[in-house]
Amino acid sequence: MSFDWTTFVLECINFLVLVWILKRFFYRPVLQVLDARQQRIRDETARAAQLQAEADELKRQYESRLSDWNRERAQALETLEQELQKQRSEGLETLRKTLAEEAAKARARDAALVAAREADLVRQASGEAYRHAALMLQRLATPDLTLGIAKVFREDLPVLPDKDRDALRKAGLALGAHPVAEIASAHPLDEDTRAGLVTALSALADCSLQAQFQVVPELIAGLRVVLGESVLHANLCDELDFFKRALPHA
Amino acid sequence: MNPAAMGKSAALQLAGIPLTDTVLTTWGIMVALAAAGLFLTRGLKPLPEMGQTAAEAVVATIESAIREVVPAASVREVLPFVATLWLFVLAANLTGLVPGLHAPTRDLSATAALAVLVFASTHWFGIRALGLRSYLRHYAEPSVVLMPFHIISELTRTLALAIRLFGNMMSLEMAALLILMIAGFLVPVPLLMLHVIEALVQAYIFGILALIYIAGAMEPLSPSPEPRESS
Repeated sequence: MSFDWTTFVLECINFLVLVWILKRFFYRPVLQVLDARQQRIRDETARAAQLQAEADELKRQYESRLSDWNRERAQALETLEQELQKQRSEGLETLRKTLAEEAAKARARDAALVAAREADLVRQASGEAYRHAALMLQRLATPDLTLGIAKVFREDLPVLPDKDRDALRKAGLALGAHPVAEIASAHPLDEDTRAGLVTALSALADCSLQAQFQVVPELIAGLRVVLGESVLHANLCDELDFFKRALPHA
Repeated sequence: MNPAAMGKSAALQLAGIPLTDTVLTTWGIMVALAAAGLFLTRGLKPLPEMGQTAAEAVVATIESAIREVVPAASVREVLPFVATLWLFVLAANLTGLVPGLHAPTRDLSATAALAVLVFASTHWFGIRALGLRSYLRHYAEPSVVLMPFHIISELTRTLALAIRLFGNMMSLEMAALLILMIAGFLVPVPLLMLHVIEALVQAYIFGILALIYIAGAMEPLSPSPEPRESS
């Protein structure tokens, strides 16, 4: 173990020089890089924290807005529900009224149809009844019945109401100087009956009438007198028509 | 290697100054460390590559170790000295493994120089951190009576620092030489592996002790107790 002062001094100098060299060319650059990296990490951490804060704020705003939206949506839904309920009620009421009206119309239409149908049926029934009555009366009708009816007709002429008498008179006057009465009978009339009829009609019309006789079997029995615009019915066919028209709904 | 010649012979004369192999080896280590430093710090990038990562790891580890015992404001101030101590002592210890070279730390002149520098740096950093008056009050704490013991303690620990490193490294090399002479080739290999471990441990111990001495010198004084009022 020896000690050399020269080595001691040189070693001291050497070490100090080495400290300076490494400090200048090794530690300082490396520490600068480490510091720059630390600074960058701090900056990025701060920026991340700032971004986090901004994100939190945005999230809070978003959640607040979402909450408002949800509340508004709930209110809008509630309003819509109420509006729909109101419209539904109004629609149902309107529909109910319309249905009631339609039902009333349908009932009225059905009633009218039923009434029309009933009337038609009555008409058909009366028609059938008239046809059967006419058939039966045609079998019963005889020239004597026609003569009997003519006799009754001649007896009834004088007792006609004044209104009918005036109408007959006016019709005779309207025919001019030589009025002609058309007398249709179901059976041929004898001369006496014809003369009696002409005389009675002329007296009633207050003029001298000419008569034009014809046989119309459709009258079944009796006769029909046409003087201008006046018609006098005294036959079974016209009576049946009268009864047919007199029936309700006929 | 001749154990008897270790640290004694002047290998070279430069301007009349005898340069021992310790000095020459130290220069070589200095050149190697400076070259390595320059190489590793060439073209530093924000995203480091392998060499830069290693350099950053070394510096960051040393800075972290210093930060644990030294006030944060003084870390960068102390770092060059303590880091250079670690790197140089480690490199010097491992140099002994290279055939034909001797570890400079097996020379008492070199270890004494390092110990004296640690001694000086302790006072330097202490005075810079606390001021001359406060620093000198260290020696009167907790009592003036203990001042000689403080001084003796500092001298002896400096001496111990030098002798410990010198003794360990010299004994290792000597043991390796003796075994090589006695047992022959390849037998000292386990001892050389022990040399590696010992080199690492001794470098760590030397650096950490220096760091603790410096940190102790920079530690602020505890406030003096209030004088008790007499009733």
